[in-house]
Amino acid sequence: MDMQDNRPSLEEQPFVPAGEPLALDDERRLKVLSPGMLVFKRFVRNRLAITGAFIILFMFLFSFLGGVVTPYTESKVFKDYELMNKLYAVATENNEFRYILAENQTFDSTAKSKMILAILKNESTFESGGSVYGLEKEGKDFYRVTGTSLFASGKGIKNQFKLQPADGIVLPDDFMAKFNEALAAGETSFTTNDGQSFLLKASKVEAEVYKQEDLALASKLIFTGDLDENYAFRLAAEQAIQGGQDAKFSVGEQTYTLLLSEDGVAIFTDKDGMVISQASHFLMKASQVGTVFPEGFAAAVQAAITGKQTSFVLQDETGEDRLYLLEHGTNEYVIRTELETYQINMYSPPSWEHPLGTDGNGMDVLTRLMYGGRVSLLIGFVVVLLETILGVVLGGIAGYFGKWVDNLLMRLVDIFNCIPGLPLFIIIGAIMDAEKVKPTYRIFVLMIAMGVLGWPGIARVVRGQILSLREQEFMTAAEATGISVKRRIFRHLVPNVIPQLVVIATMTLGDVILTEATLSFLGLGVKYPLASWGSIINAVSNIYVMTNYWYVWIPAGFLILLTVLGFNFIGDGLRDAFDPKMKR
Amino acid sequence: MKRYILKRILLSIVILFFVSMVIYGIMRSIPTSFVEHKAMERAQLPGAKSYTEWLRILNEQYGMGGNVVTGFFSWISKIATGNFGDSWKFTIPVTEKFSRVIWDSFWLAFTTLILRVVIAIPLGILSARKQYSTTDYAITIFALIGISLPTFFFATLMKLFFSVHLGWLDLFGKVGRNYLTLDSLGQALDVAKHYIMPVMTLTIVSVGDLMRYTRTNMLEVLNSDFIRTARAKGLPERTVINKHAFRNTLIPVVTIIGGTLPSLFGGAMITETLFQIPGIGYTSYLAILEGDIPFTMFYLMFIAVLTLMGTLIADILYAVVDPRVRIA
Repeated sequence: MDMQDNRPSLEEQPFVPAGEPLALDDERRLKVLSPGMLVFKRFVRNRLAITGAFIILFMFLFSFLGGVVTPYTESKVFKDYELMNKLYAVATENNEFRYILAENQTFDSTAKSKMILAILKNESTFESGGSVYGLEKEGKDFYRVTGTSLFASGKGIKNQFKLQPADGIVLPDDFMAKFNEALAAGETSFTTNDGQSFLLKASKVEAEVYKQEDLALASKLIFTGDLDENYAFRLAAEQAIQGGQDAKFSVGEQTYTLLLSEDGVAIFTDKDGMVISQASHFLMKASQVGTVFPEGFAAAVQAAITGKQTSFVLQDETGEDRLYLLEHGTNEYVIRTELETYQINMYSPPSWEHPLGTDGNGMDVLTRLMYGGRVSLLIGFVVVLLETILGVVLGGIAGYFGKWVDNLLMRLVDIFNCIPGLPLFIIIGAIMDAEKVKPTYRIFVLMIAMGVLGWPGIARVVRGQILSLREQEFMTAAEATGISVKRRIFRHLVPNVIPQLVVIATMTLGDVILTEATLSFLGLGVKYPLASWGSIINAVSNIYVMTNYWYVWIPAGFLILLTVLGFNFIGDGLRDAFDPKMKR
Repeated sequence: MKRYILKRILLSIVILFFVSMVIYGIMRSIPTSFVEHKAMERAQLPGAKSYTEWLRILNEQYGMGGNVVTGFFSWISKIATGNFGDSWKFTIPVTEKFSRVIWDSFWLAFTTLILRVVIAIPLGILSARKQYSTTDYAITIFALIGISLPTFFFATLMKLFFSVHLGWLDLFGKVGRNYLTLDSLGQALDVAKHYIMPVMTLTIVSVGDLMRYTRTNMLEVLNSDFIRTARAKGLPERTVINKHAFRNTLIPVVTIIGGTLPSLFGGAMITETLFQIPGIGYTSYLAILEGDIPFTMFYLMFIAVLTLMGTLIADILYAVVDPRVRIA
């Protein structure tokens, strides 16, 4: 548009160069526009006003249509997998006996404590719950416990016993010979040729023979893998370890190889060379259920512990190096590593899924901006509507009736004018905080408070206009025709005030949006989970967010700025369009 | 004139009475009051009296015994004798706290006012002289952006730029870390340095109004007959603008500025809070949040007085400069 168009008309500037466009209300125009059309045309020709109108149109589309189009909802929380240094496992040095039971056997806790007593006293048998158990030391911290059942008993003199087998038992052929051998040698156990082993308990006059059977192993070693509870494997394996060097041994039909590392970890491989178990003095407890420790983990941990290292590297199942951090405790070691963690996607940077990233609650910023725009625009319009209604009614009455009514209402205006807005809204916000008012109700309360406090400005303008208008001839005419007072005010006076009203309302819209944003910024206006532009910027109260996550708060600030600017542009354009006196 | 002023002052007192009534009513309706907080705190100390007992004692001490109506009248009768009571939060007399913090607000506002006048009037006049030129558009857009900027957003942007990225200025506060080690000139400069961002914020967001007002008035003057006469006499354009137009433009502008003088003491709540400048605005913000009734009441009443004074001064100035407005 060219502002030169609006140059004053003929009488002020008699010479109009040829080719210069005529003003809209130029008398030489063929078609003279109606006043309304004139205002509209002037408005449209104002570049700033049109820019403002487009900005506001964009904001409406952005907020009301954008909220519909966006695939997310206002308070959808996004979660994500992320690498974090997390507790992976705890290694504890094992100082307790752990028991490996033979098949279909039980070994109760009373018997276990009796066993430990027997170990301390260096005895080879112990009794618990009426049964006798055999205890055989196989090596350091490794014992075999055998259960017994009475096999034969008898009495005798001078080491000559006559043994009577227990019910339903047939003594093996060489039983008596082996028994006497053992008795003579003073041993407490013997084995017959068919492989059965027996326990001997004899005094001078009485002898009892118990048949031994495998019951349990007591060991302080911790085995990994599936075979750690397998009696036969454990027995053979630990016996091999006690041998103190690399060895081969077989259990059933399987052959295993033992490799002893320098750190005292025993590694067992099967015939194909696959590691099937590892034995160490450390008990590993994974922090998450279902964790499978990678190959060589126990050995690496033990090596790191004995070497007093704080970290070690181990290949994981995909063959990649993974760093583990080790924290030393007294007899507990904490192992950390980077793990994938499912967590709220906080402050994620802009991406295709989230064009403006996510905020501190893991919500999509762009979507929050759209919904926030709805709240901000809605509050603006409702408050201005409320202010206008109150202002027009009270200002109209004051202006029309004058005298004491005017005086009274204007003093009321003065009172409201003296109540400072922002502190009052802060107080109201604090009251609502204390009362724990629902976020949706807060908006209504806020709108009413702002509307009730904002009307005096509009009332003043309306009153001033009406005071001067009612003295004009058309009002005298209206009075003479006997039109009712209500009609005279609202049909004849108020429409004449509308130009000023529209301008003021547009400008006030911007102010209301600013006030609401300020309150929400202070945390006293619109509250989580509802969004408003002000409350989005509230994130900057955390300095770290302010400096590092610009995409969370800067867009909201510019949206507020643009919206208010848009309304101000429109208001300015409207003022010029309604009242072109100022044009030179 | 004297009668008019006297009448206005008397009217103001009546208005203040009603304003104080409204404000007191709202303050008293804050559900979890300062007193209740205090009682809760005291009751949790080891071996303390019960909460209800503390509440009773504290209510008595703070003069909150009666209901809203008796509370209001006892408050206002004290005010009438000039006793504003003790601030609950700051535990010193309200007026003492006020006199400690008011000057920070004043200097902040005063510097802003000077910058505002220095920037707005020349630019406003320039804008009017070159109406519809690129300069005019640029100035208009600048002014409207200033008006439309949310204070808190602009302040945060400045912090991000000057404190975080450039590291020139401190994020918060009125004085730096080594303030006490500086000599008196250094201390003054330190405070001035901390005032830079608040003053810039306040100036940018407030300069637009005055600029637009100056432009409008200048346009009105430039359209008036005496300017045409001056031009017709063949006076050089410089004389027309600088002597005839400028002086006449100043009349309404000075009136408006006169009306804003009392608000120099009003404090800038948001800006002071964001930069933690211990002025009246920031202090009151803290007092409001804690439900400190004596201080908040004093502050709100103070603002009401300033508003009334502002309109009174503006009206008087109008009458002084323009005899047509003079009312008996």
